[in-house]
Amino acid sequence: MRMIGILGGYACLGLSFLIVFEILARKLFNHSLQGVDEIGGYVVAITGTFGMALAAVERAHTRIDVLLLRLPGRVQAGLNLLTYVALGIGAAFMGYMGWRTLSDSLTFGSVSSSPLQVPLWIPQSLWMAGLLVFALAALLTALRGLAALRHGLEAADQVLAPTTIAEEIEEARK
Amino acid sequence: MIDLTGAVIGFVIMLGLMFIGLHVGIAMLATGVLGALVYFGPPVLLSFGTNLWAVMNDFLLTTIPLFVLLGELLLRAGITRNMYESLTDWLSRLPGGLLHTNIGACAMFSAVSGSSVATAATIGTVALDEFKRRAYHEPLVLGTIAAGATLGILIPPSVNLIIYGALTNTSIGQLFAAGILPGILLTLLFMVIIAAAVLWKPSLAEQVTEVPPRAERLRRLRFLLPPLGIFVVVMGAIYGGWATPTEAAALGVVLAFMLAAANRALSFSMLHAAFVATIKTSAMLLFIITAAFFLNFIVGLLGVPQAMSRAVTDLGLNATEMILILVLFYLVMGCFLETLSMMVGTIPVVMPVVLHLGIDPVWFGIFLVIMMELALITPPVGMNLYVVQGVRKHGELADVYRGILPFVAAMLVMVGLIIVWPQIVMVIPEALF
Repeated sequence: MRMIGILGGYACLGLSFLIVFEILARKLFNHSLQGVDEIGGYVVAITGTFGMALAAVERAHTRIDVLLLRLPGRVQAGLNLLTYVALGIGAAFMGYMGWRTLSDSLTFGSVSSSPLQVPLWIPQSLWMAGLLVFALAALLTALRGLAALRHGLEAADQVLAPTTIAEEIEEARK
Repeated sequence: MIDLTGAVIGFVIMLGLMFIGLHVGIAMLATGVLGALVYFGPPVLLSFGTNLWAVMNDFLLTTIPLFVLLGELLLRAGITRNMYESLTDWLSRLPGGLLHTNIGACAMFSAVSGSSVATAATIGTVALDEFKRRAYHEPLVLGTIAAGATLGILIPPSVNLIIYGALTNTSIGQLFAAGILPGILLTLLFMVIIAAAVLWKPSLAEQVTEVPPRAERLRRLRFLLPPLGIFVVVMGAIYGGWATPTEAAALGVVLAFMLAAANRALSFSMLHAAFVATIKTSAMLLFIITAAFFLNFIVGLLGVPQAMSRAVTDLGLNATEMILILVLFYLVMGCFLETLSMMVGTIPVVMPVVLHLGIDPVWFGIFLVIMMELALITPPVGMNLYVVQGVRKHGELADVYRGILPFVAAMLVMVGLIIVWPQIVMVIPEALF
């Protein structure tokens, strides 16, 4: 899963250099590379959906815990489990909409309305794959949490509970 | 078409889903789905299909991971301690001494890093180390860090302003320009409050009388150049008209990368840590943004904007009265909701009212971000208070509460100022665009 972050990061870093190169080419040589912004959009859409899977597994998606943390431990564990099942369903719903978009592009052979003329199914299928991985990652996390429950509430919390402030500080210092 | 009651019930359901701990994005998606099913039936849901691709593939949103990456690289570029020392050289003779350094360092660092948690954690670590050896009123030290770390979401480049701009179709360039003056004013306001407190009660802070010789201080000034330079290049590129916000962000990333290389902070493990953090944060943001677009789409179809505007007309409120109500509304909301969720979750119901009353969306964006800053430091649940306490690792949270109060007051004054003189927000964007 960390691989998603690392590859996505290289993609963003590469995109930055590409954009800067494009600015320089435009300013200095009056020559514009076509379609950098289009590629940027694809990079974000694809790293975005795969990244959502990474964020799901590493509990980085935002949750409100003011009330949750005041509930009894068992109730918390139940809600945490429900939360990840709901995340999986939500991601699958987005994946279904993504699939419809993709199948339209395939049926009509859509290409991007830009000089690059990219057949849209190429970026869209990767993007949709990301949504699928997102849904699977969320459901798998729910299952891992369920399995961890056998070792007690604390073990399950390590998989499913919202991140604590201490964890976020740790993260920022890494 | 939905009526006001329906819209309010929907909003309450969404809050309820958030409070039982569902992911914020899921709470918004589910509320949208529920609204669509109750009022229209399933086909409407699918009509959003192609929008989903359009939302995520938007070049404007490319800006977000790039600014996040810029912040993550800078965080690891090994500049914090030197920057802190150099600021101390110049600010420590003011009444309040190193407390001003905290504000200045937080303002600078958070402006470019864009994350208040990262700023509070990073500057907090350096600063609290420094203060161990000195005689300062501890609550005030904690307060300066918690409050200073909020400044970055107002001072451009700000990811929160980009998200607001994307959701409300407001120009990012104008929003960034509008954040500059209030950001500087708020920073100054913090410093004035510190100076006033220390002049009134000198025991609060140690008086610094000796500073390094001028030559030494000038030499160390170069440590301030990196964050300032990146800020100037990024903002200059946007306002010089030769780069879009996304291109400016890319420029910032490349500069931060070179800076880390120059400081010998660059390594594969450092890069990979920055990458993973970037992708996680950006994906988290993108998920919330996508859900918000979906909810906005359904809310529009349902006629919530019309219902809200009618309600406001019936109440006969004018713009100022409405803003005062919203100040209270956001103060209360801020006690329960994480700040970004507060902004994104309330935009669908609040924005129609704002536009109906003829309030400028650029001004409102800045107002909203200041309310978010307030939410970050309002006891008992302000996020930054917990982060600072978490970095400190000893003593009572109550110390942080006591230390933050002057800054909460300063922010409320700031809100008052921009309500009475909206020009504070609008003068720069109006001059530039």
